[in-house]
Amino acid sequence: MTRGCAIGVDVGGTFTDAVLADASGDVTIGKVLTTPDDPRAGIVHAIERVLADSGLDASAVTRVVHGTTLATNVVLQRRAEAIALVTTKGFADLLRLGREARVEGDRYDLLFTPAPPPVDPRLTFEIAERVDAHGEVLVPLTDEAITEVVHRVAAAAPAGIAICFLHSYAHPDHELAVAAAFRDALPETYVTCSWEVWPETREYERAMTTAVCALVGPVMARYLAGLEAHLRELGIGCPIEIMESSGGVMSTGAAARRPVATVESGGAAGVTAAGIVGRTVGAGDVISFDMGGTTAKTGIVREGDPTITHDFQVGGKGSFGGARAGTGVPLKIPVVDIAEVGAGGGSIAWLDGGGALRVGPRSAGAAPGPACYGLGGTEPTVTDANLLLGYLDPAGLAGGVSLAPELAHAAIERAVADPLDVDVPDAARAIHEIVNAAMTAAIRVVTVQRGIDPRGFALVAFGGAGPMHAARLAATFGIRSVIVPWGAGVAAAFGLVSSDRTVDLVQTRIVDLEDLNDPSVVEAQFAELERRGRAELAAGEGRYVVTRSADLRFRGQAHQLTVPVTGGPFGGEDISVLAKRFHEVYRHTYGIDTDAPVQLVNARVRVVRVVDKPDRRPAAAGTSDVGAAQVGERPASFAEAGGFVATPVFDWSRLDPGHTVGGPAIVEGRDATIVVPPAHVAVVDGWRNLVLELPRPGVG
Amino acid sequence: MATIVDDAITGEIIRNGFAVAAEEASVVVVRSSHSTFIQEGADACAAILDARGQLVAQSTATSLMHGASLRCSLPSLLEDFAIDSMEPGDVFALNDPYRGGIHANDILVFRPIFSDGRVVFFAGTLIHVADLGGNAVAGLAALATDTFAEGLLLPPVHLYRRGEPAGAVLDIIARNSRAPEKVMGDVKALVAGVNVIARRIEELLERYGAEELERFVAASIDETERRVRADLCRLPDGTYRGTFPIDGDGVDPDREFAVQAAVTLDHGAITVDFAGTSPQARGTINSSFSQTLSGVVYAVRCFVDPTIPMNEGCFRPLRTELPTGTLVNPEPPAACGGRIMTVAAAVEAILHALAGARPDHAVGASALIHVFSLSGVAADGTPWLNLFYEFGGLGARAGSDGPDATGAFFLGGRSVLPQIEPLEAQYPLLVRSSRLWPDSGGAGEWRGGLGVETVIELLTDAVVTVRGARMDLPPPGAQGGAPGAGGVFAIERHDGRIDVLPSKAANVEIGAGERFVLRTSGGGGLGDPKRRDPELVRADVAAGRVTVEGAARDYGVELA
Repeated sequence: MTRGCAIGVDVGGTFTDAVLADASGDVTIGKVLTTPDDPRAGIVHAIERVLADSGLDASAVTRVVHGTTLATNVVLQRRAEAIALVTTKGFADLLRLGREARVEGDRYDLLFTPAPPPVDPRLTFEIAERVDAHGEVLVPLTDEAITEVVHRVAAAAPAGIAICFLHSYAHPDHELAVAAAFRDALPETYVTCSWEVWPETREYERAMTTAVCALVGPVMARYLAGLEAHLRELGIGCPIEIMESSGGVMSTGAAARRPVATVESGGAAGVTAAGIVGRTVGAGDVISFDMGGTTAKTGIVREGDPTITHDFQVGGKGSFGGARAGTGVPLKIPVVDIAEVGAGGGSIAWLDGGGALRVGPRSAGAAPGPACYGLGGTEPTVTDANLLLGYLDPAGLAGGVSLAPELAHAAIERAVADPLDVDVPDAARAIHEIVNAAMTAAIRVVTVQRGIDPRGFALVAFGGAGPMHAARLAATFGIRSVIVPWGAGVAAAFGLVSSDRTVDLVQTRIVDLEDLNDPSVVEAQFAELERRGRAELAAGEGRYVVTRSADLRFRGQAHQLTVPVTGGPFGGEDISVLAKRFHEVYRHTYGIDTDAPVQLVNARVRVVRVVDKPDRRPAAAGTSDVGAAQVGERPASFAEAGGFVATPVFDWSRLDPGHTVGGPAIVEGRDATIVVPPAHVAVVDGWRNLVLELPRPGVG
Repeated sequence: MATIVDDAITGEIIRNGFAVAAEEASVVVVRSSHSTFIQEGADACAAILDARGQLVAQSTATSLMHGASLRCSLPSLLEDFAIDSMEPGDVFALNDPYRGGIHANDILVFRPIFSDGRVVFFAGTLIHVADLGGNAVAGLAALATDTFAEGLLLPPVHLYRRGEPAGAVLDIIARNSRAPEKVMGDVKALVAGVNVIARRIEELLERYGAEELERFVAASIDETERRVRADLCRLPDGTYRGTFPIDGDGVDPDREFAVQAAVTLDHGAITVDFAGTSPQARGTINSSFSQTLSGVVYAVRCFVDPTIPMNEGCFRPLRTELPTGTLVNPEPPAACGGRIMTVAAAVEAILHALAGARPDHAVGASALIHVFSLSGVAADGTPWLNLFYEFGGLGARAGSDGPDATGAFFLGGRSVLPQIEPLEAQYPLLVRSSRLWPDSGGAGEWRGGLGVETVIELLTDAVVTVRGARMDLPPPGAQGGAPGAGGVFAIERHDGRIDVLPSKAANVEIGAGERFVLRTSGGGGLGDPKRRDPELVRADVAAGRVTVEGAARDYGVELA
């Protein structure tokens, strides 16, 4: 296979980022404004730009990987056309009854109203059939019943059809027969069933996941077909791949079949990028910290792999970065475990009813933007505080926005400093540190709340605002090493070009380990999932990596922990190894031991086809003097220095591998600014990443 | 000046630290528990209290009833065990309703947290455990007439001493349970929860020191109190009255029960006097003092800024008059397992009273939780039992219909209901259908929310115990709105006969193949139904919430 060049393109709320990696590993980056009405215009623009800047011809492009927020937007904004849900007789109200949780302040809201379900009750159809928890058929599905339901649904002419029957994970035939009948009768209509989407127990989440597929599927199929046509016009002939929420990538065909898998596409790209950066510099365990304009997202990479969760809610509620079970739209798919808090550069500082200073979650966004943008914003934001603290250059940001300190000063004075009776620089410092506290909570959710001690991790900081706050966050957790990747502002797009083709599959089958006399039953289960995974990826050659895992629990419990399973074949001793590992993970997670029998609930398989990627070699150390990279000096505020001190400013693009910058210092890149606090040392590595080392552990 | 800013920053970090510790503990308890309704319901309470017993923070997903119980029980623990006698690694439990608890099945666990050899804080957790004896399974002794019939009572006792199990107590708990394996799993989940809190708070103590933490806790409680008082000041001063009936205790069918509340607002202070409330019942509907107090705190919080944190500062502006020997403050050994009926009646009485101060807050009454337990012996000979519940419709509000079948008041929403697939995988039963119950929402200009009809077929012989509320006297409407439909518990027998059960009944036999039918009440309507927009009636009919006949009968809208 000849190696061509790969393009990753990530669509965010404000910017669309593209990264082009050529065969030699050289990288070109591009950033353009997102075009919300049709994101494809921005994508085409970004790709044109990186092609022009790299001087490459479109025909040299052999891979395009796309990170999209289309699915999330469809779910949150309910923008899709009406779909139908077909379910077991007796359960038409499955989604409508729902599990809407009333959390936090909602409890006291006498006007609380749950969000409506994604399927109109008039488009919910029952069919006579019933299977029990063991997969035994209690009410057979008849041809008459199928004909009748197809007739009724066809009359309603929905844009998509979702099918979810009780216990179909244990016996898929009924769902598959009904799906086949719909596909025959309505070949133009998008049809999906829960067995094809995610056959795991718990009917509400499974039905919701299936319904979301039907909602997003038709929109996604049209969008991708259009995008491929646009790229062909540019002269790019290769198929597009889509980043999945689990960190792998899928074909456009798979994305149209299982569009729900793309809900955390962009977030997953960021964590994947953090893992790659970590591997490059020899750090297997990293915390990914992505802070943009509106939110900060954190995720965990262990031994090079992003941590995955199977409990995800789109638009879930709950403070401290965790979306609470039962809120939002729950999806039963593997998603990179991300905690998100409403804390970004645009987050607004305000005083609550008690006069306490709070920051976020409301954001000034791109319009009107922070006060210092001079675009009409009058509320003080984190960016305004960072400007007054001397961290940001008044001369401006990427994208040509210049910053007005006097507007930032006026906003902070009016809304924070005067009411609190403190001076403006103190108020700015408070805003900076309070937003740090909010982000601390997000890091805590993905680390200590999951039983992970963050101290052995490196923090990979990116996004427009991340590198300004990273060193302080690291100190809070006793993390000693902060890595800011070269191209920090487009790191997620970089993750896209570096990803592999992936399929995740699950199968529920509940059995006590002590009753598991024949391990070949489990082996057959894993082998079948593996076969299906390989079949889905069969489009290309290459190296395959298969990972097995199992969800286990103590008998009587309802929540599982996922434990890795050694590659097949699954034999007799694997049963006791599995039990032993589960006990270890359980003790580690809950700090307590139990001697109840252990149950196997789900078998999970991930099949990865490793994609040939450009190999970026480290550059040799430069010979220039670091002083040549210094472009100025300005006062910046550091608590340990007692306030403002003259701080040298360096141009990242002029720093060479091997250069060392001692704090206090500020390093300015094209799309990100790094704050190096006093006593910290920043080293430029062979890939131009900045690696900040903390003076000693635990200094805050 | 810098000190003010530093204080603000440190305060925010500490506030986050406490809140996240309580959240984390509540998640740990849910995920490691062995009772289906805890696992699926995410209903576990975790709280942090200071050495004086003040509530510092509590998990936010939980019912206030549980948080209030932890707060009111800690003084009892400190009465029996001098704080100086406690040692690191000690863990205590209790469940006595007359010492701050709720009823036998709700176990409270506490762990002291030390700094330099001194107890600075307490971690507390609470869940309804699988079974702790009593005269019906799963803590649902619907017809008990004293605490002794409700299960094993624990005065404050050591569960662990310096990190080692205090053997006898755990054995006694297991020996008194119909589900020893599950109850041990539940107790260990509670202990895992307090251990997590202790670990997190110890980290904060290490970083800031005890004095600094205590200073911020005191300041944050004072601040909360100030905010509650400031919001209450915005309501017009005066005394407002409300009363709300309870539809019986299941034991004395001829007795009528009501909670009466006189709410006095006076410059940000609020007094709730329950004089006139019915004497305590022989049945289980009595509410111990911690529970009544939780109802008062809940109702008051509906009239202040919902973002105010939940801590001791919410309790301070309140004064309650709880006449002894009444439903809201019974004397032992009155049974307390069904206290939710009195707590919820207290909430409605206060809401109705305060609607006099804020007419835009008028609401129709809501259906309450319908609780039942099923138990039997599975085909392989193992005994099984489970506690179930379902919600009814909420009352209509001025300007919007009541939500369908979800948790009223502090009950947190339908997320707490187990799903059908995991239930059927674990117990010998089949859910035949579960649907909204058309026409069950009380008619009104704004309609009450709908109840649910669920049909469960038993696969082995079983025993059912039920404890419903607001079924015989369904949730009333307000301002001319109709009441919701009254819920029903029934059994469809083999011969087609339908036995309708009383709303409270214990240990009724149901044969394999017979069906248990549950209909939950609808919420009360608000305003004259004839004033309802006919378009809304049509939409209700299209969505199956109102039948064509119901539209004509209740709203005068003909849609033939």
